[in-house]
Amino acid sequence: MLDSAMAALASLADPSLLIMLLIGTVAGLIMGLIPGLGGTGAVAILLPITFGMEPPQALALLIGALAVVHTSDTVSAVLLGAPGSASASVTMLDGYSMAKKGQAARALTLAFLSSMAGGIIGAVGLTLAIPLARPLVLSFASPELFMLTVLGVSLAAVLSRGNIIKGVSAGLLGLILGMVGTSPTTAEERFTFGSLFLGDGLSLVAVALGIFGLAEIASRASQRRGEKQTISLGGGWGQGIREWLTHWTQVIRGALIGIWAGVLPGVGATAGTWMAYGQAVATAKDKRQFGKGDPRGIVGPESANNSVEAGDLIPTLLFGIPGGVPSAMLLGMLLTYGIQPGPSIITEHLDLMYLIVWSFAIASILGALLCFLSVKQLAKLTKVPFAVLAAGLVAIMLLGSFQEGGQLGDLWIMIILGVFGWLLKSTGFPRAPFLIGFVLAIPLERYYFLTDSLYEGFDWMARPGVMVFLAILILPMIWAFIKFIRARRHTNLDDGHRDEQPEDDEAPLKNSTWSLAASGIFFVAFAAALISSASFSPEARLVPQLVSTGGLIFSGILLFIEIRRRLRDRTPKADQSISEEAEVILSTQPAKAGWTLDARFALKTFLWMTGFLALTAAFGYLIAVTIFIPAFLLIVARARLKVAIIYTGVLYIVLLALPSLLPIDLPQGWLNTLV
Amino acid sequence: MTVLVAYAPAPEGREALSEGIKEAHLRNSDLLVVNIGRGHHDLEPEEVRALETRLGDAGLALTIESSVLSDPGDAVIQIAQDRNVDMIVIGLRHRSMVGKLILGSTVQRILLDATCPVLAVRSDKL
Repeated sequence: MLDSAMAALASLADPSLLIMLLIGTVAGLIMGLIPGLGGTGAVAILLPITFGMEPPQALALLIGALAVVHTSDTVSAVLLGAPGSASASVTMLDGYSMAKKGQAARALTLAFLSSMAGGIIGAVGLTLAIPLARPLVLSFASPELFMLTVLGVSLAAVLSRGNIIKGVSAGLLGLILGMVGTSPTTAEERFTFGSLFLGDGLSLVAVALGIFGLAEIASRASQRRGEKQTISLGGGWGQGIREWLTHWTQVIRGALIGIWAGVLPGVGATAGTWMAYGQAVATAKDKRQFGKGDPRGIVGPESANNSVEAGDLIPTLLFGIPGGVPSAMLLGMLLTYGIQPGPSIITEHLDLMYLIVWSFAIASILGALLCFLSVKQLAKLTKVPFAVLAAGLVAIMLLGSFQEGGQLGDLWIMIILGVFGWLLKSTGFPRAPFLIGFVLAIPLERYYFLTDSLYEGFDWMARPGVMVFLAILILPMIWAFIKFIRARRHTNLDDGHRDEQPEDDEAPLKNSTWSLAASGIFFVAFAAALISSASFSPEARLVPQLVSTGGLIFSGILLFIEIRRRLRDRTPKADQSISEEAEVILSTQPAKAGWTLDARFALKTFLWMTGFLALTAAFGYLIAVTIFIPAFLLIVARARLKVAIIYTGVLYIVLLALPSLLPIDLPQGWLNTLV
Repeated sequence: MTVLVAYAPAPEGREALSEGIKEAHLRNSDLLVVNIGRGHHDLEPEEVRALETRLGDAGLALTIESSVLSDPGDAVIQIAQDRNVDMIVIGLRHRSMVGKLILGSTVQRILLDATCPVLAVRSDKL
């Protein structure tokens, strides 16, 4: 085991690997600065570049980016009070307050050093997990692997923030979407509606960039960030280093919390970071300074949000169930290379495992170093308004999702899913279970049929491993049920530690016509899946039917709740005084008017994207870029003409040169086929 | 001189509030209310006004404060330390040992972490 680790380190001396790691680190740092992208965006945008690379190079690039995304996202949180990712909003509490006192450098030093330590401790955790889990993993057969995939989807659904029913519905719909294409058992086409293009299934990059990337752009494009005044860096570098050293226990504690949050599916960087902040507050004797610039409020969370990404990789690589969205995409990538995570990666590709560990650790150090060196430039970058960045991001994301299949159909699917992802985000549906379900759909079905053919009836259920997993599956549900009952009876006032994210305006369209529509879409989609699966052969039918029946039940409950709430809101509240409390608590968020400003802006952004795609389909990608970018910059972002011209020119030249540097194809339009 | 009341829209919270008012009158000190209810449910405006007049008659002031911390226990302790209050008043009810072990207890954390005297009032009296 030690020699594999050393061999992996030696292989990193290969210049091509080192260069990939460096490129990944720089790309990750830049993407960390862009609000809303986070680890998911970084992996999704870089993934298309890796098509055609060898697995080690591809992994070095992606891990390099993933390891440092949460190092640089702090910069805008501290300097602008506008976090680069959801998890950096925790750092904002104390970091921004510190910066306002003229000690931005102190806050950034604490953050960068803790991020680095978090990354390294995360990598150590990943290393230790390999020998610990090895005997366990090697004892797994198909029944256990099947249970693990079920566990992956359902834990993600249950543990994600927000409503469990919404989480389960999202996870099940992800499973259905993952089954589009050729069935793994009977090789017949499912849910393709006779389309040849859907026969290969939906492209992972298109789904992820749609659900997360485009949705994020649409919901943020209305933010015009440039106006906020930036705070100068100030002094305090030395003080930061000294404080970081005195709070080393907080660093380690934060990193461990992060690893744990990463291991649990569906608990991502955001929740893990809030958990770390909660712990830092709870264990501090003097709580006065929290929220006003306490170093402990920066150190723990910053170390946690980097180690979360390493923790995510533990279940992903060892058990084949992704711990979070970025690692779900890594899992998809490994599967396309024919590397099966789980038992086979431990026996056959141990070198890749250690390569990941080393890359993660080295990138963490490199990332912090680069941040220290370039903090002034990074601070300037954060001043760019989001709408200006959005123009380029849309162009890059569309180009990225074109690479997997080389078909424009993928891009249309991506925009449709973008609208859907925005709807999910703004109505409070967790999106992580959706993507995890999408990735696990095919493995789930394959393991189920393997199990079914190897075991008589339900004998496989009696295997000890399966029983343990069943228990793990059921316990969180009982737990959630007890909490739900207590909340209904209002006997939960005194309960536990509420260290999760404070309920904020993450889902502004909750309890509105929009969420009713979202539940309706879920219901219709499951019903359609159930009906159309009736025509499949019995083998291919079983799993889709089970999933869509389950989905129908859950989305039916959602629809019922939404309709009941609508009806109740409509009836005049005459008897309010009788049960004031119950009523007041239930209707703290009154149904808002459906057509809010943000919704209008988001849909307008999607129209822009559709226009861009239509242009691409007609005239080809390069011409579409030269029309779309200046138009978007001038009209939506209200940038100056000079900026728009330079921006377009630079992007055009880069795009022109790109195909000769990297294995990338530019979409050709209908016009190009004529010429 | 300030008395801090951890209020929540439930029997425990109301018991704590009425006891806190008594205590404020007794000590001739101002009243500071921190809301710890789940969700962002605050005191009703009418209740606040009634409370203000009640305290105002005795020449005492009412402040309502919240914290950036999401955990109610931490929020109470933070504000108590920050305002240097003389006493925290909390309401509580019986909890089973197992319940406290599994779900935890905010009241217990306030009692153990507070750096000033804590007055605990039971809402489920005999």
